[in-house]
Amino acid sequence: MSGQNKKTPDQEKYQQLEQKHETKRPVLKNCIRAFWVGGLFCVVGQALTYFYIYFFNFTEQTASNPTVATMIFIAMLLTGFGVYDRIGQFAGAGSAVPVTGFGNAVISAAIEHRTEGFVLGVGSNMFKLAGSVLLFGVFSAFIIALIKTILVYMGVI
Amino acid sequence: MKKIIGMVLIIMLITGCSKHESEEAPLSLVKVTHPTPSLIQSDHRDDDAELLQSIEKDVEDYKELYDAAIVKNKDQILVAYKVKHLQRFHMKKIEKKLKDSLEKDYPDVEFIVSSDFKIFLEVVELHEKMKSPEFDVKKAEKKFNNIVELQKELT
Amino acid sequence: MLKGKQSWVFSSRPAIAATGVSGGPFEANGKLAADFDILHEDLWMGEDSYEKAHRVLMEEASRAALRKGQMEKKDVQFFLGGDLINQITPTSLSARALEIPYFGLFGACSTSMEGLALASFIINNQGANAILTGAASHNAAVEKQFRYPTEYGGQKPPTAQWTVTGAGAALLTKNNGGSVPVTTSATIGKVMDLGLTDPFNMGGAMAPAAADTIAAHFQDLQLDPSHYDLIVTGDLGKIGQETAYELLTDKGLNIDQEKFQDCGLLIYKENQPVQSGGSGAGCSATVLYGHLINQMKQGVYKRILVVATGALLSPLTVQQKETIPCIAHAVSIEMQN
Repeated sequence: MSGQNKKTPDQEKYQQLEQKHETKRPVLKNCIRAFWVGGLFCVVGQALTYFYIYFFNFTEQTASNPTVATMIFIAMLLTGFGVYDRIGQFAGAGSAVPVTGFGNAVISAAIEHRTEGFVLGVGSNMFKLAGSVLLFGVFSAFIIALIKTILVYMGVI
Repeated sequence: MKKIIGMVLIIMLITGCSKHESEEAPLSLVKVTHPTPSLIQSDHRDDDAELLQSIEKDVEDYKELYDAAIVKNKDQILVAYKVKHLQRFHMKKIEKKLKDSLEKDYPDVEFIVSSDFKIFLEVVELHEKMKSPEFDVKKAEKKFNNIVELQKELT
Repeated sequence: MLKGKQSWVFSSRPAIAATGVSGGPFEANGKLAADFDILHEDLWMGEDSYEKAHRVLMEEASRAALRKGQMEKKDVQFFLGGDLINQITPTSLSARALEIPYFGLFGACSTSMEGLALASFIINNQGANAILTGAASHNAAVEKQFRYPTEYGGQKPPTAQWTVTGAGAALLTKNNGGSVPVTTSATIGKVMDLGLTDPFNMGGAMAPAAADTIAAHFQDLQLDPSHYDLIVTGDLGKIGQETAYELLTDKGLNIDQEKFQDCGLLIYKENQPVQSGGSGAGCSATVLYGHLINQMKQGVYKRILVVATGALLSPLTVQQKETIPCIAHAVSIEMQN
């Protein structure tokens, strides 16, 4: 863990020089792209929700389950055909934040480690990107639920 | 060519799954329909019709809502309504408020209220089916109970 | 022979008798496709894993070099090579097939020049008559190890670089006269670390190492930059190359900007989505052993200095917040009339 806090004057000087040449992330452009590509994903999702409401026996409450499953299925196909990583490069957070991004993280890892076999390859590496999302998602949900329970018990809410 | 085949397949799939015979119901997503309330079984039809009219007026007076479909069977009244888009954040609060005030104003009947679009859709469909003479009370009651079941489903 | 602090002069001028270069589909669409001996249409190359495809690249480049040099593998004393994969297995596995006594090298993306410098040194000191040296990288295999799965839709910043799928190998022999490229000197670089930690900006991290080695080369050999027709860095990319140029100017070395090129910028077309340029052990190897050697044979360049740069990081050091140590080795190549 060396050198991350104390920089020598040389390092300081060089980093300033290097900064000058560094291509900056086009933050505004990325935001706009993320917004509309992410929005497009959501439009597809909403359309699917209505599809399930109209043609199957799902209510607004229950239609979200098959919708999520279908979206992940589409993400799986796009990942397998090598399209999703291109969308990801273009859209950034727009394709990473919706549930399809989660699906992509799981599926891409599964495809990647297929060559190492099903148990030690796919099985153990499938969640290497998404695993932390699961862990901290469940953990934070637990914390929030705990806080709410305490507040309700105390009569605040 | 592949794209065309794909499109055709999707269209066939969608139309094939379609089980709506009515014309009004599918449109209720995009436009305000103001369906007339229906009665399935009742001992006093005239009184109940009046009751339903007044309930519909009460419900549609809420400024957060914009459309209501109501159906009554025996002592149960199902109220399905659409919430204005920006008010959807307060959906739970609106539901509680509506239910409480309805129960206060009409203490004799049991209310089932729902803002779910599917319930609205089904109620509108029920309205339309009841117009045809082949759709008897038994069938209507069955459908009504189905809708109530659907409303209780959570996941 | 040692000259100065860290340079060797090869008085017997070992000859690059033949070279072999193989590449993948992305390189086939690049600017230098014509300079590849073997180009594959897909990343799998008929194998069932990217690591095996990686081995195929190295093996094919080596075999192409042997074939073009009209030598059998029994005539070659040593094979010096390396790549970026854990324990450099693709190169070791290709050495298994080549059956040539083998030194495995690891210098990250500087492996190509590390190998060429060592091979020249061994031949110069009568340690061998013929040596095969090379380096390889495979985009998908390297991405898998260093970054995310290939199909993962993460966004790469504009400072990131694209790992070259390709391998370059050179057959180095004693100088028997004739019109061949020869190696004349080499400068071994020291590890430089100026505290950069972003693994998506390797060019910026490697630039000081390149500048340091180039400066040391001119210092040790008492030469002026005008001695070379071309000074080419390995895989600094856009950012690193500009930074290195400024560092060199600051050190008082006046290099003609036209004569200061980068393999990572030469290999791909402008419209290919490679962000800041190409990188990887195969980058300098394919560009030098393919394009640049061809150009020298055509008389475009007479003397060139190749500075391959390497970022000696691993995914582990990145996660443990270690800064990126970098290295650069320079070899000077001259066209013998």
